[in-house]
This record gives sequence, C-alpha cells and structure tokens, in this order.
Amino acid sequence: MRHSQRMDRLSAPRRKVQLATAAMLLMATTVAACGDGGDDGATASAPKAPATIPELTKDPLTLSFIWFDWPPAKALEDFANAEYTKDRPNVTVKVNTVPNANWHDAMFTQFAARKTDFDIAILDSQHIGEAVTNGNILDITDFVKNNIEVDAYNPYLLAAYGQFPQAETGQRDENASLYGLPLLGDTWTMIYRKDLIGDKPPQTWDEMISVAEKCQADNPGVSGLAFHQANGSDAAAVTYNTVNGVYGGNLWDPKTRKIDGVLNDAAGHEAMDVLVNKMKPLTAKGSGNWFIDEVNAAVAQGKACIAFNWIAASGGLLDPKESTLGSTREQILDKLGFATLPSQKTDLVPLGGMGMHVSAYSAEANQVEALNFMKWFQQADVQKKWAAAGGVPSRTDALSSPEFLNAGPFNQVYADSVPRMRDMWNVPEYARLVDIENTNVNAALNGAKNPKAALDDIAKEQQSVLDSSGRKGGGGL
Amino acid sequence: MAVSVDEAVSTGPARDRGRPARRRGGRGRSVLEVALLTVLAVVMLFPVLWMIETSIKENRDVYAVPAEFFGFTVTMEHFKDVFVGPDGGRSALSVAFLNSVLVAGASTVLATLLGVPAAWAYSRFAVKAKKDQLFFILSTRFMPPVVVVIPIFLMYRQVGLIDSKLGLILIYAAYNLPFTIWMMKGFVDEVPSEYEDAAMLDGYTRLQAFRRHTLPLLVPGIAATAVFALIFSWNEFVFAIFLTSSDSVRTAPPAIAGLIGGTTTDWGLVAAASVVFALPVLVFAYLVRKHLIAGVTLGAVRR
Amino acid sequence: MTDDAGQVAATPPPAPGRSRRLSDRGLAVAFISPALLLLLAMSVFPLLWALYLSFTDYSATRGGRAYFVGFGNYTAILTSAQVHQRALTTLIYVVGAVTLQTVLGFTIAYLISRRTRGRGLLTTLFLVPMMLSPVVVGLFWRFMLDAQFGVVNSMLGSIGLGQVEWLTRQRTALISLIVVDTWQWTPFIMLIALAGLTAVPKYLYEAASIDRASEWFRFRTITLPLVWPLLLIAVLFRAIEAFRLFDLVYILTNGGPGVSTETLSFHVYKVAFLGFNTGTASAYGILMVLVVIVLSQIYLRYLNRLKEG
Repeated sequence: MRHSQRMDRLSAPRRKVQLATAAMLLMATTVAACGDGGDDGATASAPKAPATIPELTKDPLTLSFIWFDWPPAKALEDFANAEYTKDRPNVTVKVNTVPNANWHDAMFTQFAARKTDFDIAILDSQHIGEAVTNGNILDITDFVKNNIEVDAYNPYLLAAYGQFPQAETGQRDENASLYGLPLLGDTWTMIYRKDLIGDKPPQTWDEMISVAEKCQADNPGVSGLAFHQANGSDAAAVTYNTVNGVYGGNLWDPKTRKIDGVLNDAAGHEAMDVLVNKMKPLTAKGSGNWFIDEVNAAVAQGKACIAFNWIAASGGLLDPKESTLGSTREQILDKLGFATLPSQKTDLVPLGGMGMHVSAYSAEANQVEALNFMKWFQQADVQKKWAAAGGVPSRTDALSSPEFLNAGPFNQVYADSVPRMRDMWNVPEYARLVDIENTNVNAALNGAKNPKAALDDIAKEQQSVLDSSGRKGGGGL
Repeated sequence: MAVSVDEAVSTGPARDRGRPARRRGGRGRSVLEVALLTVLAVVMLFPVLWMIETSIKENRDVYAVPAEFFGFTVTMEHFKDVFVGPDGGRSALSVAFLNSVLVAGASTVLATLLGVPAAWAYSRFAVKAKKDQLFFILSTRFMPPVVVVIPIFLMYRQVGLIDSKLGLILIYAAYNLPFTIWMMKGFVDEVPSEYEDAAMLDGYTRLQAFRRHTLPLLVPGIAATAVFALIFSWNEFVFAIFLTSSDSVRTAPPAIAGLIGGTTTDWGLVAAASVVFALPVLVFAYLVRKHLIAGVTLGAVRR
Repeated sequence: MTDDAGQVAATPPPAPGRSRRLSDRGLAVAFISPALLLLLAMSVFPLLWALYLSFTDYSATRGGRAYFVGFGNYTAILTSAQVHQRALTTLIYVVGAVTLQTVLGFTIAYLISRRTRGRGLLTTLFLVPMMLSPVVVGLFWRFMLDAQFGVVNSMLGSIGLGQVEWLTRQRTALISLIVVDTWQWTPFIMLIALAGLTAVPKYLYEAASIDRASEWFRFRTITLPLVWPLLLIAVLFRAIEAFRLFDLVYILTNGGPGVSTETLSFHVYKVAFLGFNTGTASAYGILMVLVVIVLSQIYLRYLNRLKEG
C-alpha cells in the first residue's frame, strides 16, 4: 500500500529510476531463484528406481496416467480398474487425457513444473530422450533386470519404448539404460477396399500406387489414397518417414549426428518425389490437413480405395454407426481389408505406440505402485487379457495368442509387422525436429514448397537444431 | 452517455421518415438496401444456423454430400452426449462446463470486488497521475496472452498454481480487472458526487456515504460489468490450454477443442457442445445489450 | 490494507477540513492498491521476469543455470528470416482482416441506420458472432470449410463451381483466416459505427437537405467526419486484437499449409512450448509487447483526445 501511495506521487523521471531499480532487484531475486531451482536438473540424469519393489501401501491410492484422448486410453482405464484392482483393491486407476495436439506440451509443461498430476507418463517413444535428459522420468534398468522377463519380448520393442540412448533399428543394447516398458504397440496398417481392388492387397509400393490409380479412375467420387498429411503432431512426418524407409532412405546417422546429406540423399529425394508427385495426386482434394480422424472418416464414408492409418486408431472403422460401408461389422469387413504395408527397396514400417514411464515428481508411494503396476502388466496372462480388451501387447507369447489375433482384423497385421519396424530420432530435440519435418512435408504436399527444396530445408534446419547447443541466444527459432 | 442498442434504435435521425419519394429511384434504392441487408444478415447468421442444424443431425447425415439442409432425421443424442458419458455417468464435457462456471464465476466476483472500489476511488479522488495510472491499467489488458502465459507459467510453477482452478481464477481476475475499473469508472462518473457530499455534511463518513448513497445507484452498472467479465473468462482459451491439463480442472473451451483430433470426430457432438456452451453467453449478452459498446471496448468507448 | 480501510471507516464523523482530506487519501489508497497489487503481481511482475529471461538462454524444462547472452536473443530474432516471414503473414492478416471488417461493418451499420423498422432485432442478430468463443468459431468454420464435406463447398458445387481447398492452399488458407476473423468481428465495427451514425444530429441533415446537397455530398461532408473518430477507435482496437491472434490459427489451420498461416503469436508458442527455448520466447514476446505498447499508446492517446474534444 505504501508502495503504491509513493508511486502516485512520483514525477515522471523519478518514476523511471524507481522502475529500473525495481527491475534490477527483481532480476537479482530471479537469478537467485533460478540458481536454486536449477540444481535439480543441472546434472541432467534420471533418478533411479529401486531394483526391487518396496512395500506397497494399504491406504487408498489413485494411480494416474496421462495420455491423449483416444479409444485406447479409455480401454486402459477400464481394463486396469477391472483387472489390476483384483490384486490391489485399494487402488483406483485414472487415465487423464489431453487433446492429441496438446499431448507433448501437457506432459512436459508439468515436468517443467517439477510437479505432475500423473504417476505414469505415457510418452511417445521419441519423447524419451527429452524426458531422460531433463531428469523427468525414473531410470528403471535395475528394476527391469529383477522383475521383467526380458527374453519374452522382441528385443527391439523393449528398446524402442524404454532404451536411451536410442537403439539401432531392430536391436537392443543390453548395456544401455532402460526408462520405460511397452504399453501399447502400434504400426501403420494398409486399409483397402476388397470390393474395389480385390481381396489380394498390393505387395510393392509401386504396385500399390498403380492399383490406387486404377481404382480412382474406375470409381468416380472415390479417391485412390488417403493418408496423414497434417502439419500437427507427427502426422506428415511419419508419412514421409515411412515412404523414406520403404525406398531405402535414412533419417539420419545417429553415430555422427548427421542429418544433412543423409536424409536428403538420392533415396530420400526419390521418396519425396513418390510422396508428392505420385501419391498426393491420388488423394482427395483438400486432404492436405488430414490426420487420423479424417482418414478414418474418408474410409468410413467409402471415399478411399487404399488408406494408411495407425492400427490402434482403426477400431472405429468397424462401428456400423459411423460407417456407410455396411450396417453390421461383418458387412463392413466384407468390404474392408487390413494388410501390412507394401515393401519396395526395404520392408520397413513405422513404429508407433507408446511406453509407460514413471514420473520423477510423483509421491514415493505412487512411484512404488506404478512400478508394481508395470510389473503386473508385463505378465503373460495379463498381456493376453490386455489384448482381449482391445490393447496391443508386446510380449511375443501374447502377440501370437488367439486372444490377440482374434480381437481385431488388424491384429495379425501388427504381429507380422513387429520385425519390420523403424522409429524416428529419439533425442531431446525431438519436438523441434518433428515440427520442422511436419511443416515442410505439409508445405510440399500442399504446393506451398517445391518437394526438393522442402527436403533440403528439412535436412538443413534439423541439422542446425542438432548442432545448435552452445549458440549465443536465439535457440529455438 | 452510453448509447445502447435500444437508444440507437429509437433516437436515430430518421431521415427516411416522411420524406416524399420525390428523388428519382428513391424507392428502388430502398429496396436494394433492404435486399443487401438481408443478404448480409443471412451470411452472418448462416454459420450459427448450420451449427444448430448439425447438432440435431445423425452423424451419417453430417457428412452427406451435397449437404442436407432439410429432411434429415432429427436426433437429440448429441445433446445427451454432451452431459452424459458413454458409461452413463457425468461426461467429461459436463465436468468442464461446471469448471467453467466456477472459474468464470469466481474470477468475476474477484475482479468486481477489487475493481469497483478502485473505480470509485479513481472517479472521486484526486489521485496523483490519475490518467497515467488508468492508461497503464488498461494497457495491461492489451498484452498478447501467448506472451504473458510464459512468465505466468514459470511463476505458477514456483508457487504450485499450475493446473489448478485458483491459478485460472487469479489470471482471469487480473485479465478482467482493467476492464472492470474502466467500465465502472464510467458508471461512477455518472452518479453526481454531490450526493456523497451532502451525506457527509450530515455527519456520515465518506465510506458510509458511498455505501448508502452511491452503491445502490451503481448496482445495475456493476451487474452489467460483471456480466461482461463473465463472458470474457467464459470464452477464454489460451491461458486455459497452457495452464491446465487434467480433466478435473479443464474448462470448457479446451475441452471442446479436444473433441477433434482423436480417432474419429463426432461433429454432431462438437456442434451440440458449442450450442450449449454459447447459449449462456447469448442470454447474458442480451441482458446487457444497453452497455454493449462499453462492454466490448473494455469500457474505453462509451458514447 | 483491509485494516486500514476498516480504520478509515471507523473514524468518527469528522470535523470538516484537514482530517477529512486525509481520510479521503487513505480511502483512495485502500481502494486502489488491492487492484494495483493484483495487476502488479499478474501483469507487471511476469513481464519483468520475461524481460530478464529474454537476456538469457534459460529453458523451462532443461533446468540448469541460465546464462546471460546479452542481446543475443534479440539480434537472432530480429535477423531471423523465419521471424520476418511470420511478421509478414501477421501484417497481411491484420491489414486484410481489419480493412474487410471495417468496410463491411460500416456498410451494415449505415444500412441499418437508414431503416426505420426492425433495427433493434437486426442489430441484435448481427451481434451474435462476436459473442462466441474463438474455439467455437474456429471449430465450426473448420467444419464448414472442409473441402470434401463442408457446407461451403457443397453450396459452391450446387451453383456449378468446383471444390476450393480453403484450408490447405497457401493463399486460400490465409484468406480463410481473414474471412473467419471478419465474420466474427464485423459486428464489433458495426456496433461502434452505428453508435456514431445515430449520434449525428438531425438538424445537420435538414440543413443539407435544404441546400439540395447530393446524398454522396452529405455522406462525405456530414456523416463521415462525425463518425470517423469513433470508427478509428474501433479500427485501432481491432488491429491490436488481430495482432495478437493465436487461438483461431491454433484451431483452424494449425499454421498450415507448411508455416504459411503462422502468426507471430503462434510462432512464439512454438518456440516456447515445443523446444522450450524460454529465453528466446521471452525476447520474442517482449518485442511483440513493444509493438502492442506502441499500438495501444496511439489508441489511448487518440481516445483521450476524443474524450476531451
């Protein structure tokens, strides 16, 4: 009060002095505050989880997850509350959901606050690097050694959802640290109209394009292809990366951290050319901002011959209420086929899905409960039940179980795709790398940029992000 | 004096009235004007009508090409889905609506409690550098929210206000305060200070005079101001999306935005949620139609 | 503070003169300072903090010490081609949207002011878009502008025109953004213009009518000069609002195609929340605030002159 009273009477020049003093004082306190707050993250290594699970609490406890809003999130909450509580009746499981577009921001702003309203973060596999480097999630290497049957998994699945630094495609480095365990596996499936192109799916990428071309010409009002093109999330980036992989390209050289010259080599340019000049013309007009839901809508409305989408997001296609393809699930399945992606120079498919990671900032009892949940979740019979409940398990025995294979027409596709998976870069700079790629691929797809220039821009800008540490200001532009 | 819609309607210079149609083409021109106005009105209102229509369509009809304007099956399912979750309990949207009511309500009360006395003091007393203070207050409202949210975020994480209703209430109150002060100062200026002076000659203190004589006259103004503050915080999106993340705190605008971007978009539900969300605002806006101009210019323009 | 206020209130009926003035001042301080304190805490303090951070390489998630980089962030921003592109986009958007809504808003107001019946109803109906949340507006236009099943293309199709890619072509996406903003905010200009138009004293027209002045002459010499000051206020106000546009972009185009509809606000968001380059984002924000301050100073000066005049 006295302060404002004084301000009232200050003349203009004196006020300026006053303001400057206040600002300087403020800076001093902030520097001090930041110095204090900075120590916990300065060492930038994740805190370790206990190797064995300590005693669990008997008090009522809510175990919270964070995920984005989609059907598997609801499935997980229902599944866990039905099954996990049989072992742990005092526990309630809550899966907080945020809009997909906001998913990364919502998790990492809470990590930044050093206070999370979730105990288990469901991170995209490429978020691990950022979370580990910031010390946001627990190092569970020792815990896994003592509690998880690592041999029961395809090693790359364990690596992709848990290992940092990132594993080589298809392998796991047994000496590397683990920070998470698989929750939901996923990859792209090719969705094709059996009634329009026949029962047998195209085997190569080139064949797929020509089949789509013919189908589009034969069926007015139906477009040949539908796939992700949006500039948000990782939509357009995954699309390009998939074509890039199939045509024998590489996203980067992880050892030398080189992108420029690797991504935009001859194979990379060929992939961009195929995507923009051969595939894009077969898509619907105005599909340049399509992501998961728009592709699903196009398929459900019978407007696409061949579509590509994440398996975990395809369940809605079989819902007669949302579809014009048939009034029962069977009728729809007469028209829709699900297949693994065609191959070309390689048979790589994109790795999707997410792992579970324990927040470094939740209460100890909750962290312990989270570890217990993860151990429980990775048991053979639980994985099978998860499969039956609509989830995609990761254990090899669960993947080959009838519970999984009969749960959905696309599950065989997933099982067949597991050995073919490739992930993107898993580095702390992931969010920026994917944004650069998204916006440029999206620009190329929508004629806002020449495809060659777009790919070269991606390589150049991504390289500068990887190289930018130690620059004096302006990071992140 | 504030010009209200009603006044604008009744006191305008009725230039056409009684003017003989001696000018060539006077009538033709008038017809043309009416036609133009009708077209403009249709264009402006069509999206709203289309939103209402979509909210009562079945999802299959929503995607129909060409678009169906009439003759679709009417359903109230989407409105049910706004309030009732798939499992029969309360839907996440209805929780968000309640959060919106609470956050918008509490922040409005706070802004009013702080703003009205300040407005009165600015109106009545010779405060030093009054004009500068008032302009400073108003200019805080012009800051880009995306910019303000960065330091607010850092500040909130120090004090644990991230993802809390209190955090939203405080920032909305601060956001509405400049408006409340400016708008209320206008209302206080219209109440002659002589009433208070007279009361003070009778032995009342300044504060008692304010309470007994000025405050009752200000009630309609306070109500109008509060309604505008309510509308602002009801509609606010930027702070809400960056400062909250859990279902139990999230307000309606980010919740509605979250309806798209899943695996399927239920446009009928989006439309129904939008209609439900917009209704209170339209009702409120109708209630304060007399003060619209002051209301939408942060109280800066009053005429 | 409340204690002080209470004391002031409890002061016995005063002898007129000096002590009453003192209690007035006490009251003023007690009544004004809570409001100012809230503003200091929620507006000024955060901005000063951002000002400090803008000279560092601080990151909100990476933790660690913040190092001073001098004006490094500022020079990087001011020389960045990325930023120049966003500035140009924002400029086109602001000029396009504000011009369009001023012309339309004034036209509607002028037409309404010439009606004798139904003005109240018309005005109220026209105001609806302005009251909606930007989220609702953005989502709904996204739905209506969908190239495949959107109602806009459907109507164009029924009069024999082809599909337009409203949101996915560089030019049309920016135009769509301008159109949607215009749809929402034309009523604002209309409302203020209408207030100006209806305040024009009748006798001026009557005098002009005796002089047999032409309609256009009357409009130019009487109507416009009298409405112009209010209209300019409305325009300035809209320009400030449009300059900080974020939510509509976030929902309607997400900045696409490519980055062609990314406004400055949207870019700040990406810097701040994708890479968590808090220092850079703060500098970026401070520069935007400077622009807003200049704009709002013009606005407030002008408003002041108008009030005095």
